[in-house]
Amino acid sequence: MNTDGLMEMSFYSATARRRASQLVDPGTFSELLAPNDRLVSPHLPELGEAVSFDDGVVTGVGRIGARPVFLISQEGRFIGGAVGEIHGAKMVGIFRLALQAYETILDREGRVPEERRPAILISFDTGGVRLHEANAGLLAHAEIMDMIQETKGKIPVISLIGSKVGCFGGMGFVAAATDVIVMSSLGRLGLTGPEVIEQEIGKEEFDASDKSLISRTTGGRHRYIMQDCNVLVDDTIRAFRRAVEEILALPYEEICHYRRIGTYPLVQEQMALVQQAAELMPGDSMDVWRCYGNDEPELLPEWELSEFLCAVRRRPKEVP
Amino acid sequence: MALNHLEFSYDGVAGASIPADWSHSGVVGSGDMEVLLTRKAQGGKVVVKVCTPVCGFDQVWDKVLAHFVAESGCGDLVIEINDNNATPFIVSLRLQQALSEARGGDLQ
Repeated sequence: MNTDGLMEMSFYSATARRRASQLVDPGTFSELLAPNDRLVSPHLPELGEAVSFDDGVVTGVGRIGARPVFLISQEGRFIGGAVGEIHGAKMVGIFRLALQAYETILDREGRVPEERRPAILISFDTGGVRLHEANAGLLAHAEIMDMIQETKGKIPVISLIGSKVGCFGGMGFVAAATDVIVMSSLGRLGLTGPEVIEQEIGKEEFDASDKSLISRTTGGRHRYIMQDCNVLVDDTIRAFRRAVEEILALPYEEICHYRRIGTYPLVQEQMALVQQAAELMPGDSMDVWRCYGNDEPELLPEWELSEFLCAVRRRPKEVP
Repeated sequence: MALNHLEFSYDGVAGASIPADWSHSGVVGSGDMEVLLTRKAQGGKVVVKVCTPVCGFDQVWDKVLAHFVAESGCGDLVIEINDNNATPFIVSLRLQQALSEARGGDLQ
């Protein structure tokens, strides 16, 4: 099989399983709780809804160089990648394994060498809680947030967002709590999804069929300008993989500087943003882009990514 | 309301199974399905287990599956399908893809 060709493949249209296996060194990916384990949702059959042998998430472990990399890759085509009981438990299980790997190295060697420090990658493709099993899904979100706190000071957690559904609902919070967010221009990140906003407030407020509007409001380029996304890459598995390698090559302390929330100064920075939004009263994302010094904001979505990255003016960071 | 579990059995070709113990293919998207193939020596028999939200299409399943087993010349297999409203054409296509991936063909 020609793996090079697969790496050039669009991240956006790749299945969860392919994303997971291609993000680590060739031949090193082992899926855990694979379809063969037939761990399907206990709730969906009661509702007459189709089940999947992996419950919509691929979990496993691989290597990048000498580093053990623990992967979570969601499949948006199965119920919008929504997180149910099994799906969430599999995610939590990966966090536990990664932390165990860290503790094992620490116990055995007294320290964790940077090049072998375990890492967690989450390839999001989800609308958040699976409403068919809402309580279990919400609980899973809470558990995952707990696990992310457990990783702090130990192992990096990197979010990859560039799949069809994007990353919305409770999983938007989860992504925000990770150390680094990598997106493509096609990636979308937010809390309330476009369709939900339209349903709740009306089409005049937010037209969910307006793809350009959605992209301007939740898309990778907007998130990059706002500093919600740390690294913006092309829509190929290879580009995501390269970004992950570059991030993991940094010492852990430096990776932690990518965090967008989680310290008092960062909270103050977010509060200043709220204040700024209240003063600016933007009617569209482009008003905000202009305010950060992009004189022709309407051109920003049109440019090739390389041109965009050269020319764009991002929100100035107050916390270095 | 509950999901339908259908089971079919066909006479296939003895020894015409897949190289690995099992192989998985496909995604349970809307109008799509996944296939889990498991190697099992059972005198050439092919057992198919279908889990689907759709009612009343047992005979269509039977025809499509019988045709697949005869056409592909497979055997000694357990085929498990999680279906989400796939049409008969998609079912045929996904089964062919599953078998060719299991036998090391190029991915899709």
